Amino acid sequence: MNTKSLIFELKNVTKSFSPLQALTDINLQVYAGERVALVGSSGAGKSTLISLLNGTLLPSQGEVWVLGRNLAHLRSKSLRQVQCQIGTIYQQFHLVDNLRVVHNVNAGHLGKWSIFKAVFSLIYPLEVKTALKALTQVGIPEKLYARTDKLSGGQQQRVAIARVLVQNPQVILADEPVASLDPERSREILELLQQLSQDLGKTLVSSLHDFDFACRYYQRIIGLRQGRILFDVAAKDVSTAMVKELYRI
Amino acid sequence: MIILGFLKRSSLISWRTWGLLFAISFIWSLHIAGISERDLVNQGGWNLVWRFVVAAIHPELSREFLLLTLNASLKTLAYAVCSTFFSILIGLIAGVLSSEVWWSIGNNQTPWLFGRGILAFPRAIHELIWGLFLINIFGLDPLVAILAIAIPFGAITAKVFSEILDETPRQPLLALLNSGASPFSAFVYGLFPQAFPNLLSYSFYRFECSIRSAAVLGIIGAGGLGYQLLLSLQSLRYEQMWTLLGALIILSGSTDFGCTWLRDRWGLPSRLDLNVLNFQQHRKLLQRDSVFISILAAIILFIFSFWYVQADFSKLWQVRSYERLATIIQIALPPNTSQLNQLFTLATRTLAMSILAIASAGFGGIILAFLAARNFVLPQGILSDATKSSQLHLTFLRWGVLLCTRFFLLFIRAVPEPIWALIFLFVLFPGILPGAIALGLHNLGILGRLMAEVVENLDQRPLRSLQAAGATNPQVFLYGVLPSTFPRFFAYILYRWEVCMRATVIVGIVGAGGLGRLLTEQLSSFDYNSLLTTLIVFVILTFIVDLISASVRKTLR
Repeated sequence: MNTKSLIFELKNVTKSFSPLQALTDINLQVYAGERVALVGSSGAGKSTLISLLNGTLLPSQGEVWVLGRNLAHLRSKSLRQVQCQIGTIYQQFHLVDNLRVVHNVNAGHLGKWSIFKAVFSLIYPLEVKTALKALTQVGIPEKLYARTDKLSGGQQQRVAIARVLVQNPQVILADEPVASLDPERSREILELLQQLSQDLGKTLVSSLHDFDFACRYYQRIIGLRQGRILFDVAAKDVSTAMVKELYRI
Repeated sequence: MIILGFLKRSSLISWRTWGLLFAISFIWSLHIAGISERDLVNQGGWNLVWRFVVAAIHPELSREFLLLTLNASLKTLAYAVCSTFFSILIGLIAGVLSSEVWWSIGNNQTPWLFGRGILAFPRAIHELIWGLFLINIFGLDPLVAILAIAIPFGAITAKVFSEILDETPRQPLLALLNSGASPFSAFVYGLFPQAFPNLLSYSFYRFECSIRSAAVLGIIGAGGLGYQLLLSLQSLRYEQMWTLLGALIILSGSTDFGCTWLRDRWGLPSRLDLNVLNFQQHRKLLQRDSVFISILAAIILFIFSFWYVQADFSKLWQVRSYERLATIIQIALPPNTSQLNQLFTLATRTLAMSILAIASAGFGGIILAFLAARNFVLPQGILSDATKSSQLHLTFLRWGVLLCTRFFLLFIRAVPEPIWALIFLFVLFPGILPGAIALGLHNLGILGRLMAEVVENLDQRPLRSLQAAGATNPQVFLYGVLPSTFPRFFAYILYRWEVCMRATVIVGIVGAGGLGRLLTEQLSSFDYNSLLTTLIVFVILTFIVDLISASVRKTLR
């Protein structure tokens, strides 16, 4: 494992939203190519952790290192360069509803595109081939020109994944990617993420509600409880005692 | 901070207190207007009113006059188009720069508050005052009319645009920013498309307002329908007035109708939701067929308008204009504060005028709104009696009531306030009463229309369930209709009160008293020192009214 490069490193990280302490003293390393699931009950701090990893939030104490850079010390331009290497998908998809799918997928280019190119592409879509390829990978090539709000929830999450594929980051973060979907759609999306991560060699960090899903599709499980890491083990080593402890009230 | 603190505290003031305050201020206003005194009505004027009314039967329809009317109408339309264009341009740029969301990207809070603060000043001053002021800088040029509308409307548009942008869901924007997109690209992709329907719908609304405003601006000599109306009125040619009024009604009515139709067709939020910034999720989808034709029509109208008004835009960057501006500013400073006492009296009179106007407009509007609402009056409406609705003559009666009310509302809002004021000055002695009536009538037309839309958008299901539970019609009205419409009604009345306050200036110009009259006198006698003081007092008064309105609206929520 140690031969692989370090993607994320959290050193004694605490995050508080006064008066609430969302995360307490987190130490964590994630290496390239890993598939990590963050599990725990609502309010355990999973989403906060994801936000720390992609630079949306900065820690109250401690350091967050991403790809060898300390996020707190970066100027906004360098921060954006780091963020280009992290693709995030969300529970509520966070797509622009009244744009066509192709534009939402192309939004993955925005970190690299100039402003003029970005504006022009809204009028006449550019790099359609790349978008189509990404949509084919997620299984909905026929929706290229559909309006995004006309798609079902599962399809919208696929569009969000396609956007991340176009962005082509080293890491994919997924914040409750399947919490808005039915079990069958959830299974499909998680399978897709797992397969993409394997085929393209992307590191994957997801927060998940469902423990069974986590064990089935991820290699490493991190249990969070009240803002602290309860356990951090390989998926095959998870015991029922751990699960019980995790969801104990 | 002081303002915010005041708002927070005043939101504790309850409904009843506001009601009581309103009652007191209404009686006070009546007293200021001199309603208790004898000499209000000029008996000699009835003769003129009679002639004016009778002239409606035979409006002037000669070929030349119709041509003149057509030219005037096109001019008013062209002014409206040009000034709407600039308003939206100003609105877009200043709107983004004064939105919280734009600055929140850089974690910087101060600039947007600063931006909104600056915008408050051009907004507080009425188009007409801008017009009179700009004449001194650019001379009598169509450019004056365009700028006079574009500056205050641009500031209003900027305020509303920034509020729309701030209310738009931000997750897509943040998602893009987190993946490393530059702020501008993220804005264009993540926020703008979602806000676009609301921005477009508000632009339509601004166009409707611009038409009315362009007509009013004619009165200071900018040409168009307002100018011709004033000429005909002053030369006592009432037949011509009716022709011009007809043209104004057609122009204003067809603009309102056209904009409503396009909004409906494109699934844009209604005028209603925009005014009180209440966006629901509009799931109705765009009907593409009309888009191309509309864009083409808009471009043609745009080119035609700029060609037709022949404004001399080069004056904008001529050194001479700026020299004049500098001279005026030099003269105006320091403001002349010797007449503060008189100003205070006039300010109270202006306030009283606005209260009388909006109270009567609001009261009348509430009644007429129900008579103008399709779902209320017509058969199969909310309160229709299933056993009687099949009778034919009743159906005719219902349609008659609906159409008459709607036409009445259209008529009284199409006539500009100064024209109303001049007509009432036939029979009323100058003072705030004719001004209040003129403002009240015009706003009644607007409020009645807005409120009718509220009634038409009522959720029918609770009403049906009340009926199903055995409630009689009056009970359904009391328990179902009133509770769900009144908060909206009052929100509109308060919103129009703010507009009314600014509009007191334009009835002041024709002699209806208050600060407006003083402003015009000072402008025409080039007394810039005193003018500056009057303007400051007026702007403060406007802010006070806005503040009260905002805090009452807060209690309504």
